[in-house]
Amino acid sequence: MSEKHSFSRRDFLKVSGLAVLGTAAACAPAATEAPTAAPTQAPAVIGKPFDGKTVRMHAITGGSYDELYKIIPQWEEKTGAKVEFVFKGNGFETDKRLVQDFAAGTVDYDVCWDHSSFFSQYVKADGLEPLDNYFSAEDLGDFIPRLVDAARRDGKLWVIPRHYDISCMHYRTDLGIKAPETWDEFKATAIQVSKDNPGVFGTQFAGKEEALTGRFYEVMTAEGGSLFNDKWEPTFNSAQGVKAATMFAELYAAKAMPPDMTNFLWEDVANQFVGGLIGMYTEWFGWYGYFQDPKASKVAGKFDIARQPKGDGGVHGGWAGHHGFSITKAAKEKQAAADLIKFLTSVEGNELESKMGILISRQSVWDKLIKEAETSTDPLAKKRLELALLEAKEDFKTPPLIAEWLPLSNILYPIVQQIILGDTDPQKGLDDAAQQARDMMSKAGYY
Amino acid sequence: MTVALDKNKVPKRTLRFQISEKQLPFLLVLPSIIIILAVVGLPMAYSLYLSFTDFTMTNAKSFELIGFQNYANLLFKDRLFWPVFGRTILFTTLAVNIEFVVGLGIAQLMARAIRGQSLARTLMMMPMMFAPILVGFQFKWFFNAQVGLVNNLLYTLTGQPQLIPWLIDKNLGFITLLVAEIWMSTPFMAIILEAGLLSLPQEPFEAADIDGASSWQKFRMITLPLLMPFIYTAMAIRSLDIARAYDVVSMMTGGGPANRTELIWTYVNRLAFSGQQFAMGTAMSYITVIFSCFFTFMLFQNVLKSRWAGDMDE
Repeated sequence: MSEKHSFSRRDFLKVSGLAVLGTAAACAPAATEAPTAAPTQAPAVIGKPFDGKTVRMHAITGGSYDELYKIIPQWEEKTGAKVEFVFKGNGFETDKRLVQDFAAGTVDYDVCWDHSSFFSQYVKADGLEPLDNYFSAEDLGDFIPRLVDAARRDGKLWVIPRHYDISCMHYRTDLGIKAPETWDEFKATAIQVSKDNPGVFGTQFAGKEEALTGRFYEVMTAEGGSLFNDKWEPTFNSAQGVKAATMFAELYAAKAMPPDMTNFLWEDVANQFVGGLIGMYTEWFGWYGYFQDPKASKVAGKFDIARQPKGDGGVHGGWAGHHGFSITKAAKEKQAAADLIKFLTSVEGNELESKMGILISRQSVWDKLIKEAETSTDPLAKKRLELALLEAKEDFKTPPLIAEWLPLSNILYPIVQQIILGDTDPQKGLDDAAQQARDMMSKAGYY
Repeated sequence: MTVALDKNKVPKRTLRFQISEKQLPFLLVLPSIIIILAVVGLPMAYSLYLSFTDFTMTNAKSFELIGFQNYANLLFKDRLFWPVFGRTILFTTLAVNIEFVVGLGIAQLMARAIRGQSLARTLMMMPMMFAPILVGFQFKWFFNAQVGLVNNLLYTLTGQPQLIPWLIDKNLGFITLLVAEIWMSTPFMAIILEAGLLSLPQEPFEAADIDGASSWQKFRMITLPLLMPFIYTAMAIRSLDIARAYDVVSMMTGGGPANRTELIWTYVNRLAFSGQQFAMGTAMSYITVIFSCFFTFMLFQNVLKSRWAGDMDE
């Protein structure tokens, strides 16, 4: 026998209401203590251009990056505005957040960190504001032209470069190595160094992810190849691409590179070099301070630097990128955001960053630095600066400025790894990668 | 003129539901169901919907429905899906079975220990206290070709420099991942099995002693059958856990090099995020989840069968 329960509509509403309230209470964030002091507001000062405005910023963080933010209070004092950081993370975290925010339409900030390799994704997602109306030719006149060119796409300016990085050849003078002029010479020297110096590998590369794709791109372009033709069809399976990939494979097969190199990223290769395990390799300028620190490095004072080798194409390697700032399309304070970016990339901002060994974007600051380096006790100080500037002016090559750079890298690097490890033939592997890249570009609407 | 109303005669307007005893429990859990649907069901439904589109992170505002194309591409065109899927099955099978054998051995020893059980259990469970990402980092260092513990140990033992690329070689890379996973999770298997061993009735063992059964006979004919519900439960949990292995693999090899150690979830990550083929990654997740559901159903069928068999024996 089933007993009947009487349940009025009012009872039902009561139960439902209690359940909803209970759930809401359970789901609500834990009660937090009231802030001890109200957030500080910029005092209203007459005559300051952005009085009472708040510029929200989505930024990269890390030792050298944070130094620049220390001058922000000066800008706040000058303009009457406040800067609020809504996010700080490393470059890849920041990129991931930006991609997701632009995709989801949840952008609530005015200024974002940006990178020459990444900004095309944000442009394609319609997330950025063109900067041409905010920065005049005069504003941009002091910047190294190739850096500004690498911030343009579809005829518009999207990023104001803050600093850049590019690689040069680091080679051990204590092992008697001479700087290779060509990639062929580089290969022969690396194999010989390995034979002559037990326990030392002739060379190495960061062996996975974008790091490997970038190095392949660098060698291939020096050999005269390219990733795409002018119709955006993949061309990296050309003879030049095969030659570049074959060089990697032959160096690995000859045991001139560490056996687990395909598991290395930037910090791994840098640690190998400071550990005295590598004869020469191409590395970013940014690691110089670490390499010359006698407490951390076994090779301090025992290496020299040189411009990257040339290939059959008659050009030097020069895979490069720059960090900068952009204004989001959803920005509420675009003028203030532009003014903040001008301040952060000003001579003053560049001088501050240059003191940490970072390669800055303004010619006038470079001139001053090189002059100061003439009196430095570091024998490589002036050479390093001149080389970095020369490479920025002549060798600076970003990856293609398309949103599909990282997906392309995701296709390419596992296949370059297969070639290095001998799992596939260079031509067959690159043909396979080119087919996958063609499919990807087709889906993306390029043809 | 006033009219006095007799309140007792005014009919009270109420709408009353008649709810049976069978309906009441459903009504009471209804709020929970609504919340679960909102928190779990809706996102799942949306991700399922996305798996039928060409959504990528950079075309978020203009994606289109493409039917089963992502599923068809994965199942019939993608050159990596089936090798990666097969490797994940092999990895899961080996890890679960090795964990089971080692865990059962440890559980037997622990169940018989007379002194120091608490300390031994605490020590045994220590690997489970580490975050998987730290375990991955630790084993990555152990197996580093140049400065790793294992190659240095081999150098000490053999007197010859060893540069074995543990994390690079096709077979060794797979084995090192297995070692890390087994080291991290065998204590879980051991603790569940020990709980099972301690809960077994003693009468069948006493009867077997009287009949002169050997230790092996008692283990095979009594312990194992009675322990089956615990074994199946532990294996089901571990299988699902290992099948979604990500942290350790990502930290040690990232699925590489050259996809040599790629498992299903590192591949999903590679496709969905690094490759920005978000919809394709979602489709792969759903294929995997469907297989996992089927596998779990089969395992729990066996749990029920073993339980039923135990009841019949009694």
